[in-house]
Amino acid sequence: MTRQEAEIILQRTFKLSKFYDEQWLTIDKILKGERVLLIEKTGFGKSLCFQFPATIFKGTTVIFSPLIALMRDQVSKLTALGIAAKCINSEQTPEENAQIISDAKQGKIQILYIAPERQENSDWIEATRQLNLSMVVVDEAHCISVWGHDFRPAFKRIINLVKLLPTGLPVLATTATATKRVELDVAQQIGNNIQTIRGNLMRDNFKLYVIKVSSQEEKMMWLGRYMNKIPGTGILYTGTRVDTEIFSKWFEHLNISSTAYNAGLDPISRIAIENGLMSNQWKCIISTNALGMGIDKPDIRFIIHTQIPQSPIHYYQEIGRAGRDGEPCYIVLFYNPDDKKLPEAFIEGSRPSIKKYEKVIAVVKSELLGEKEIMKRSNLKQNQIRVIKADLMEQGIIREVMIGRSKKYEYVRNSQPLNTQAFEDLRKAKFDDLEKMIEYVETDKSRMKFLCDYLGDTSNHTFTNCDNTGEKRITVTVTPEWSGKLQNFWENYFPILEVESKGSHIVNGVAASYYGVSNVGAALHASKYEHGGDYPDFLLKLVLKAFRNKFGQERFDLVVHVPPTQSGDLVRNFATKMAQVLKFPISHELIKSRETEKQKVFENNYLKSENVKGAFFLPHPNEVHGKSVLLIDDIFDSGATVKEIGKYLTELGAIKIAPIVIAKTVGGDIV
Amino acid sequence: MRNEETPYWLALAHLPRWGHLKINNLIIKFFHENKISIDEFFQLSESDWKNQYQLDEKQISDLNQAKSEIASNAFLAESFISQGFEIIPITSPEYSKTLKNNLKTTYSPAVLYVKGNKKILDEKSIAIVGSRNASETALKFTDNIAKLASVEYKVVVSGFAKGVDKQALDSAINYNGQSIIVLPQGIMTFGSGFNKYYKQIIEGNVLVLSTFFPKAPWNAGLAMARNPIIYGLADEIYVAESAENSGTWSGVIDGLRKDRKIYVRQPDTDEKNANHLLIQKGAIAVDFNGTELPRSGDQSNNAPNDSESLKETKQTILFE
Repeated sequence: MTRQEAEIILQRTFKLSKFYDEQWLTIDKILKGERVLLIEKTGFGKSLCFQFPATIFKGTTVIFSPLIALMRDQVSKLTALGIAAKCINSEQTPEENAQIISDAKQGKIQILYIAPERQENSDWIEATRQLNLSMVVVDEAHCISVWGHDFRPAFKRIINLVKLLPTGLPVLATTATATKRVELDVAQQIGNNIQTIRGNLMRDNFKLYVIKVSSQEEKMMWLGRYMNKIPGTGILYTGTRVDTEIFSKWFEHLNISSTAYNAGLDPISRIAIENGLMSNQWKCIISTNALGMGIDKPDIRFIIHTQIPQSPIHYYQEIGRAGRDGEPCYIVLFYNPDDKKLPEAFIEGSRPSIKKYEKVIAVVKSELLGEKEIMKRSNLKQNQIRVIKADLMEQGIIREVMIGRSKKYEYVRNSQPLNTQAFEDLRKAKFDDLEKMIEYVETDKSRMKFLCDYLGDTSNHTFTNCDNTGEKRITVTVTPEWSGKLQNFWENYFPILEVESKGSHIVNGVAASYYGVSNVGAALHASKYEHGGDYPDFLLKLVLKAFRNKFGQERFDLVVHVPPTQSGDLVRNFATKMAQVLKFPISHELIKSRETEKQKVFENNYLKSENVKGAFFLPHPNEVHGKSVLLIDDIFDSGATVKEIGKYLTELGAIKIAPIVIAKTVGGDIV
Repeated sequence: MRNEETPYWLALAHLPRWGHLKINNLIIKFFHENKISIDEFFQLSESDWKNQYQLDEKQISDLNQAKSEIASNAFLAESFISQGFEIIPITSPEYSKTLKNNLKTTYSPAVLYVKGNKKILDEKSIAIVGSRNASETALKFTDNIAKLASVEYKVVVSGFAKGVDKQALDSAINYNGQSIIVLPQGIMTFGSGFNKYYKQIIEGNVLVLSTFFPKAPWNAGLAMARNPIIYGLADEIYVAESAENSGTWSGVIDGLRKDRKIYVRQPDTDEKNANHLLIQKGAIAVDFNGTELPRSGDQSNNAPNDSESLKETKQTILFE
């Protein structure tokens, strides 16, 4: 097929007049059954490079994509063009997915989007045998490489699949963000004479700024002051989930229209926020980097980071979501030298200790187990288990097997011992990348050029689109007015304890502060671990304020406090003072019926819940029967203790249990 | 074998209505005579298939059908490989020599699907077969033969059915011996079995083997088709107990037809099974320890060459 012939079909099917040269170059190779790795910036039109050939081919094109939002979006666009496209994903019902599989088997689907994880599903494997496969596409192909910014173990299997495809079956791998190293890694892994086509990555509609500050407060003040002055709508990226909450409460306090988003939200809320983003429902969405990958909104006018990402490639990927329409957009990065600690902790914490690896290997050797069972037996956090599992699979020490419908992990007979050098190399590479990110902050040359160079795009273009090359520099001035506003905010901001659950009369409670965000954590630590005596009175005042904020003038029939694991009257004394001020009766009768370990010994929630399960006892149940209870503790972490007491008191007939604590830990869920 | 060949072998090994002989002859031709790999064979043109391989239209159409499935087989192949299953084609030096010697081109399956310690296939081996509801005596005999085999470092081959098969496996494990489980189903459907024998598999004492399409569920036909594989994998065959016209019975008859030496436990006079009948048909009577018993004159006069007439002409060994 000549380009001219193809463009006639293009007009008919896609209502587009022409291909870009690089698009045609790619399509031409695909039509000849070759393998191509295509690196082009967001908004280039990579999708057309597989969608067009897919409509020419007789069979079904399978596209592996990690992003459900993107799949949905592309399927609806293709459907509107009258092209038979569908996606199979975990958010659809099994019946919907089964129907799509059955349509695909009958050749009714030209383009089929699936998540790489689908390769673990035996119904899918069964179905593929009757599929007339015309092409395989690996979208976001940088996920294949451990040297990229978003390595995903499930992609490993996709690579193995691609290697098993016969010569002559076209394969297209695409990405918008790949350094030279990632490019070579991906090309080498896919192999079979894959050819790389790389476009330029420059985005000259970006206006790039770095704002150097010396505290979180300065970021908050600047944003408070200028957010509504930035044109259009956009995204504010924070480093942690807790920060999304803090910034969104701050904006709420200032009447700036915003909403918070993170990966922990349920799918319905996530989709609602994604839709709200599309329709400009808010001035800005405050999110961890979980938002945005694959959201195809042409007019995101600004992207602001309150925290430096781990590497320039992370940064490029995240800001790449702005200004797809080519119109100007503001790209702002805040930097406080202290901010380095978070990505450093991420890198350091991204791999558990070698001992933990060995523990998992020993557990897996002893029995064929699933993830939860491994968690229980090794006393490790789920995210640690997942990292360890992925590494052990990568090194061929364990493998994932399906026993019926459940996933188990099997030790590989005669496998090599754990190679820790590989971890060391990766760790070093990540620290080098972080250094590069800081170089981006510190550079006095073109920031766009810096990013392009880093990504291996050696364009000679002259850039004038950053605060080093013509745009104004931004600094933050602290004014008494804004200091006052911030002070006022902190004194009225109380984190919610989410503990409500079915079958228990416990209600969501409140904390006076986050542990670590203010001076509260230090005060707690001094009393608890440094023999600082009773908790100081300012904590009492703050907790009382949190009480009024959450419960107003509500009266409780009884104050109960959590009994300590080890001897110590800190919580007892604190609760007594609270009860005195609030004029509620207090009971000291709740005790532990058996020894428990300190909760912080346990690394995962299963073990935390099991540690406290059935561990509490109240000698005279009448004390709480028919009553509302205010339950006091000092620190709230997983909530397992409070929930267990809530359940127990519910069984004894309490009609309401409301927890209140001094501080809530930031917890393990960062993104 | 290269992993890349897996989708091709999946396509070639189960060509419908070809039978082992036709498939094997084709493999001999491209692999031994023309010295090309399976993927190269599938890339040949139809005219090459016709002229070089003398394939007729029906065969070419079957091969084209198989070829069209190779791309989609990649999905199954990936799942298969990632779960630690392996495919041993008949062209591989890892393919069981015992099996090849016993079954020849006519009956050797083109591929073996396995999980576990493949080295077990090189060891001396015995099979113990028998009824699903065997008597206590038969089970004791099974246990004893498995024990003796384990002491002599012989691998016990069994079929993973109830009764004698299960006893043979459990005893071999119990006596720290090695075992081959020959499945009456596709290897990817053995789920809970892998759970049960996990330790033995990772320690290298059990090899699970199947010759059927990896996703094929159990059925009676496959259970029957598995019997010759059990016999073929073993240097010696012991029958603990057989009823007349049972699965075991047809297996033994088939083995005798293929000129195999088959040892049958000498039944007590009051036993109601067909052991005696099998001995009359040419199987060799053995005692509790598997020691050959002298043939009684009465037996040697009776239908001596019943099995002789069923024998096939010996074939040359073609896959070495």
